[in-house]
Amino acid sequence: MRRVLAAVLAALLLLVTPAAAQRLITQMSSDTIEITSSFDGERLTFFGQIAPEAGAGLDTVQGPYQVVITVIGPTQTRVAREKSRVFGVWINTDQVEFHNFPSYFHVLSSARLRDITDVTTLTTNHILPESYTVTPTSAGWWHTAVFGRQLVRLMTEEGLFGVQENGVQFLSNNFYSARLTLPSDAPPGPYLALTYVFKNGELVARRSEGFAVRKIGFERFLALSAVQYPLAYGVVCVLLALATGWLGGVVFRR
Amino acid sequence: MQVYLPIAELSVNLFFLVGIGGAVGFLSGLFGVGGGFLLTPLLIFSGVPSSVAVASVTGQVVAASTSGALAHYRRGAIDLHLALYLVLSGVLGAVGGVAAFSLLRNAGQLDLVISLGFLILLGSVGIMMLIESTRAILRQRQGVVVRERLPNQHNWIHGLPMRVRFKKSRLYISVLPVLVIGLFIGFVGSLLGIGGGFIMVPALVYLLRVPGNVVIGTSLAQVVAMMGATTILHAVQSQSVDILLAFCLMVGGTIGAQFGASAGKYLRGEQLRGLLALLVLAVAIRFGLSLVLTPADPFSMAVMGPGGLR
Repeated sequence: MRRVLAAVLAALLLLVTPAAAQRLITQMSSDTIEITSSFDGERLTFFGQIAPEAGAGLDTVQGPYQVVITVIGPTQTRVAREKSRVFGVWINTDQVEFHNFPSYFHVLSSARLRDITDVTTLTTNHILPESYTVTPTSAGWWHTAVFGRQLVRLMTEEGLFGVQENGVQFLSNNFYSARLTLPSDAPPGPYLALTYVFKNGELVARRSEGFAVRKIGFERFLALSAVQYPLAYGVVCVLLALATGWLGGVVFRR
Repeated sequence: MQVYLPIAELSVNLFFLVGIGGAVGFLSGLFGVGGGFLLTPLLIFSGVPSSVAVASVTGQVVAASTSGALAHYRRGAIDLHLALYLVLSGVLGAVGGVAAFSLLRNAGQLDLVISLGFLILLGSVGIMMLIESTRAILRQRQGVVVRERLPNQHNWIHGLPMRVRFKKSRLYISVLPVLVIGLFIGFVGSLLGIGGGFIMVPALVYLLRVPGNVVIGTSLAQVVAMMGATTILHAVQSQSVDILLAFCLMVGGTIGAQFGASAGKYLRGEQLRGLLALLVLAVAIRFGLSLVLTPADPFSMAVMGPGGLR
């Protein structure tokens, strides 16, 4: 979370920098995504316009621009583990914990990232998935690097991490749209969508927007009760089981 | 039709859940076992996190055993006195099992212990059952009259101190082996998400010599009470009981069990036991292979903390 906050602060600082001659106006299709019983993923659309900075005395902006959008899910402590053979049996023998690791991270861009800017800019702005694994852990830098790469690979295989280098489409010189499908197992919590505008490899504008993925209705009630009233929740589970079993016996006259 | 499981935090097809509940329920009705030992592995193999699978199946086992336990109770085929001792020690064992469950999950060894536990338990029980039923079938083929094992023969276990009289079972035996059996099944059952009926019944018959007419009922009553307590313990300790998942499995399981029970009437006892032994062995081999074979991916990941971030 601290890293995300730092990114937001940096973004705010950049916004007040007067050097930028353009600003970014963004909008997304919804700011809360509600998980109901039939939730099987949701499609999000991001729109944005690159406009001249007010007071800059320009009518239009000069492109070409490149846009990168990162969507970051709530952070967790995630652990990557490695199995090795011990006495003929495969056992988890080594593990590295990553604190404040995003549970969801997708990058959408209008061109190949390596064509947009250099790797230092990408890493310091946390645009590359690997940048979240560049963090001191108790395991030492070598272990952290090895396990971090594997963790990113596993997250990508689960569809929780991803890079779509054709994810942003420009509809005109300075108007773009992007689509992202949140999977059905998108972790609930606060999300952050960060939009970066690049021109000739330089970061010229950025903006952040928050949205929330949350359970509503009955699902929210169940998930909350499981955490807040675990004893009552457990008792209800058992009563439900007893009632179902009894009813089954009565209906079928076993 | 997709249904969102609030604790497992994933969408699963409703018919798939009710379907595997029904299929396992059919087998459990056919063989007269709880079915936890099949359901937990099936859920794990289909993507449900193993902690949620174990905790939710615990709730399903309660439902699966209730109707049977009630039927036996009406017939007076439960030794409540014996069941009480088994339940008390079983709950104690379950407290230890749930604590070990949390410790192992945080240490990253839960999957290993679940696989090893299933391999050892199901492997040994399956082999013993297979030998016993093949012998019975062979003897039948040779036309030998099979005599029931006399239940009132005593062995050294009965001679231990602290003897208690169990009237319904017509036993006057030491209470120590009863408590040990209860503790063991409570521990293993809560750790692996199984009712433990397939360990309990042989233990009662061969170790304690409980007469056949009260064995099944007493075992079922013990499973209902102990797994009920385990469900509550899991809900409090690891908060990984998914009530919606458990309910879908219960509905499928209760219906499937009825069809299984009526199908079971067309098969002979020793044939049933032989088939069950093969099934148990198949699950054990599946777990054994997952331990021994080189995994497709030596790396895995997990979220720390109870249920991750909500």
